[in-house]
Amino acid sequence: MFGLYRQYWRINVLTTLEYRANFILWSLFTVVYHGSAIAALYIVLHEFPSMNGWTFRDMAFLYALWMLAHALQNTLFSNVDDVPERIREGDFDRVLIRPVDPLFSVIATPGQIFPDELILAASFFALATVYSGVRVDAAFVLLVPLVVAGGALIDLGINLGIATLAFWFVRVDALRWVVLQLEQEFTRYPIVIYSRGVRFLLTFVIPFAFMNYFPAAYFLDKHDGTFLLPPQVGLLSPLIGTALVLAAYAFWRFGLRRYQGVGH
Amino acid sequence: MSVTMRRRFRLEPYVEFAKRAIAREATYRFNVFTGLGSLVVRVYLLRTVWTALYAHNAAPRELPLHAIVTYSTVALLMGLVLDIDQTRALYDRLHDGSIATDFMKPINVPLYFFADGTGEVLFHGALLVPALGFALLLVHVDVPSLGVLAAFAVSFLLGYFVGFFLNFILNCSAFWTLEISAVQMIVTWLTDLLGGQLVPLVFFPAALAGVVYALPFAAMFSTPLLIYVGVIGPERYFDVMASQLAWIVVLGTVSTLLWRAGARRVVVQGG
Repeated sequence: MFGLYRQYWRINVLTTLEYRANFILWSLFTVVYHGSAIAALYIVLHEFPSMNGWTFRDMAFLYALWMLAHALQNTLFSNVDDVPERIREGDFDRVLIRPVDPLFSVIATPGQIFPDELILAASFFALATVYSGVRVDAAFVLLVPLVVAGGALIDLGINLGIATLAFWFVRVDALRWVVLQLEQEFTRYPIVIYSRGVRFLLTFVIPFAFMNYFPAAYFLDKHDGTFLLPPQVGLLSPLIGTALVLAAYAFWRFGLRRYQGVGH
Repeated sequence: MSVTMRRRFRLEPYVEFAKRAIAREATYRFNVFTGLGSLVVRVYLLRTVWTALYAHNAAPRELPLHAIVTYSTVALLMGLVLDIDQTRALYDRLHDGSIATDFMKPINVPLYFFADGTGEVLFHGALLVPALGFALLLVHVDVPSLGVLAAFAVSFLLGYFVGFFLNFILNCSAFWTLEISAVQMIVTWLTDLLGGQLVPLVFFPAALAGVVYALPFAAMFSTPLLIYVGVIGPERYFDVMASQLAWIVVLGTVSTLLWRAGARRVVVQGG
């Protein structure tokens, strides 16, 4: 399986090199996408220096943490998002007849995947870390990879859960789309600003707040008192991510057993 | 094209093209639902974010909280119309090659794309009514005087044409290269930021503001919006609309030149 996975990345890189102009333009879009989000934050917090005690420096770190976890998930597992489309087109049945685990087969479907977003995210994270004045010590260096991996797993767990729903429902785009918006736009701000219901949703139901808000609050030493949780809960991200992926995988297996095709 | 130009012009075919486009858009009901759902989520977000910012900082005098909420809500609603790529059909027809048969038809081809795009926009424009209804459940939107509303409407229309020509230019570049999707996404994202849809341009730091006002994006969102909330007063209407009109002339000229050059290419390649 390791050999297969290496081949998968070899094809990805070769495909990317084949369509070089296209690759450069899409990388540029990635820069503009994140750049405009960060610029908007900068402009707003230039005019209004504080958002419930969070400055632009804090929020740059908040964004960087989300960006890194999200980019890691995107780079390794973005193919999971294609499952609903593949089920609808009948193409999914191909992965069922291969002599490897179907989920592995889905994840290792070659395309034009390149870790450009991950490189960008890591660079921005390094920048934001220095800029925000977070205390960088041995604990920080040890904890950040764990928290980022945890965030990527939370992201994956939710994506896999939604993709699995496609075994029963032909169209899950609307749900995926709303959840995506919650993830991309609501994680930009400290969740203390939201109403109780939205905070509850982001903490306990689809725990995107553990991708960046709670860990950032821990590293930046913010005591917002969200749900009376101490900032240390931010370090639970890896556990929450692992639990979420395991639950999503069990759900996936369950869906796979029930799956009978859409009748092509 | 010269042949079609000499024929007596009839409007009916183009009205029919627009109607077809409306019917086509109406079949994508899913997009309609997500569009409206997205709007509700975004209105909630903008209300929450601005409320939090105004609660902890000194409010800028020219835009109090109710004005910024109004600004951002109207900006979102305008986006329903302005973020549409109404000349996408041009790219599609260049992509699959059917543009060649379009040139043989007894129609004015750019006008066909304009009619098609107008139909698409009219359909999405009709969605403004339910969208506004949903938005009003979450926020209060100020309604200015009739005179200001009229000026806003004119400026919005001018902004629409600026957007139309920008899209037309981008889609025209498909005559030379088909890899334009990424460029279009980049332009859309830049429009939302640099046009003042996300954050009013009056908040931009001076150095950045200088750049932003020299670009055409401000003519799409910022000008009509600042008229709506009264930051641009009646004494400046003439100036700002003249500047919008200037952009239309510039971009319209570029569109015409690109179209002519592109159309010639199709004929040459087609033999």
